[in-house]
Amino acid sequence: MFFRAKVQLESFEAAAMPHLTDLYRTASFLLRDRHEAEDLIQDTYLEAWKSFHRFELGTNCRAWLFKIMFHRLHHVRRRLVKASRLTTIDSPDGQDELAAEPVVPQEIRDEDVLSALEKVAVEFREVVLLADVEEFSYREIAETLKIPLGTVMSRLSRGRKLLRQELGEVARSYGISPRTKQAGAAETT
Amino acid sequence: MNTLSFDSKRCERIRQQLDSYLSNELLVETASDVVHHLESCQACSRDLESRMRVRDALQRAVSNWPVPDSVRTDVVRKLRASQARSFAGVSVKRWALGLATAALVLFGLFAAEWLNLRRGEQLIASILKLGVSDHVICAIQGHNYPEVPNPPDQIREKLGARYAPLLQVVQQRLPGFELLEGHICSIPGSDRKYVHFITRGQGTILSVILTERNGAALPRDKLLLSADSDGLGIYQDHLSGMEIAGFESGQYFAFVVSGLNQKKLLELARGLAPALNETLRTTARLLLPNATTKWAKLG
Repeated sequence: MFFRAKVQLESFEAAAMPHLTDLYRTASFLLRDRHEAEDLIQDTYLEAWKSFHRFELGTNCRAWLFKIMFHRLHHVRRRLVKASRLTTIDSPDGQDELAAEPVVPQEIRDEDVLSALEKVAVEFREVVLLADVEEFSYREIAETLKIPLGTVMSRLSRGRKLLRQELGEVARSYGISPRTKQAGAAETT
Repeated sequence: MNTLSFDSKRCERIRQQLDSYLSNELLVETASDVVHHLESCQACSRDLESRMRVRDALQRAVSNWPVPDSVRTDVVRKLRASQARSFAGVSVKRWALGLATAALVLFGLFAAEWLNLRRGEQLIASILKLGVSDHVICAIQGHNYPEVPNPPDQIREKLGARYAPLLQVVQQRLPGFELLEGHICSIPGSDRKYVHFITRGQGTILSVILTERNGAALPRDKLLLSADSDGLGIYQDHLSGMEIAGFESGQYFAFVVSGLNQKKLLELARGLAPALNETLRTTARLLLPNATTKWAKLG
């Protein structure tokens, strides 16, 4: 019995551990707290291990782990909101109305893009991370976050635009002027 | 610099699709339209390029984000600890469950065996009771024996050819006892008959009784046996103030009954049983050549 359990754990580790860094980074950018992210990852893996008997080997382990992590993340956020450590969850203040297409710098530094990402409301940020970094499909994101496909598309579109806008602010801070845009016209040489 | 007019509505529509195009979520035909438009529209191309640049920058920045080694080691450590706890918990539970089940099974077996033995004892008592009853009614209460032993010929005559050979067996196999009487008894109000030898010795009257089994049988459980004599199982009991030993012999139950103590009576029964069994078998073969196991019926 012990041998069988040991083999199962080895099998679980082989399937699940390669995705730890992806999960941890996503958790870090959503919680903005390394310790909370580490706790979330540990809880996610323990829960995944407990329900590993229900996981069908050969299916998408990464998507399965993300689904578990986001399920737990929901509870973590509620706890953090109660403890007033997280204020923006579902209310992206001032981010509903978007300015015109911003200009992003040609060279984007890591710290700039991460700083910009941090300013994007979490409900958009999580979709952007899942789509652009983790490269999940719309359907997988919808299943992971338990939201409709249309919501995934609208949040992704808005999230990306918010990110560009924040990066536009960075560009302005570097003295890069926004390109003058003429509605209904395009430049050509 | 030339400014070309272009279809602003088309650009607007294409830009709405750029996010899905970037995510490779467009149908092939729609993606083809977007590509076709991008080839001819620098503004939309720049828009796409800008979006791609941000996406690439984001991917790069996130992938450069350091993941401490402790995250992995802590997860692995907790998993192993969880497995050990789980194993221990499961082990304890399973051992406990196993022990409880084993105890229950043992108890069940013990209870079944105990019930079986109790039923066996009851069956033995009910059969041996016949012998005690016959002895008490005929020999003790009826006093159907003479003070001076009846002559053997007279006894043989009473027994008939079928059972006369048993006379010698009783005489020889009960040392210290003299044969007083031998006859076939009937029981008022019953079809049952029995062959009855009444002997005297060691200060008591002892009966040797044979009666047909009529399909009844003593239990086969060895735990209920008092002794074994040449393959014949002997059962013993103390009933109505009498010691009795009984065994099966072909179609008969044979009983040895007296007021002797248990040990002495059993010793006598063990000495008598094989010879009695063999004589009954031989007599049955002689009188009923076709009968092998079903011996002669009491006449």
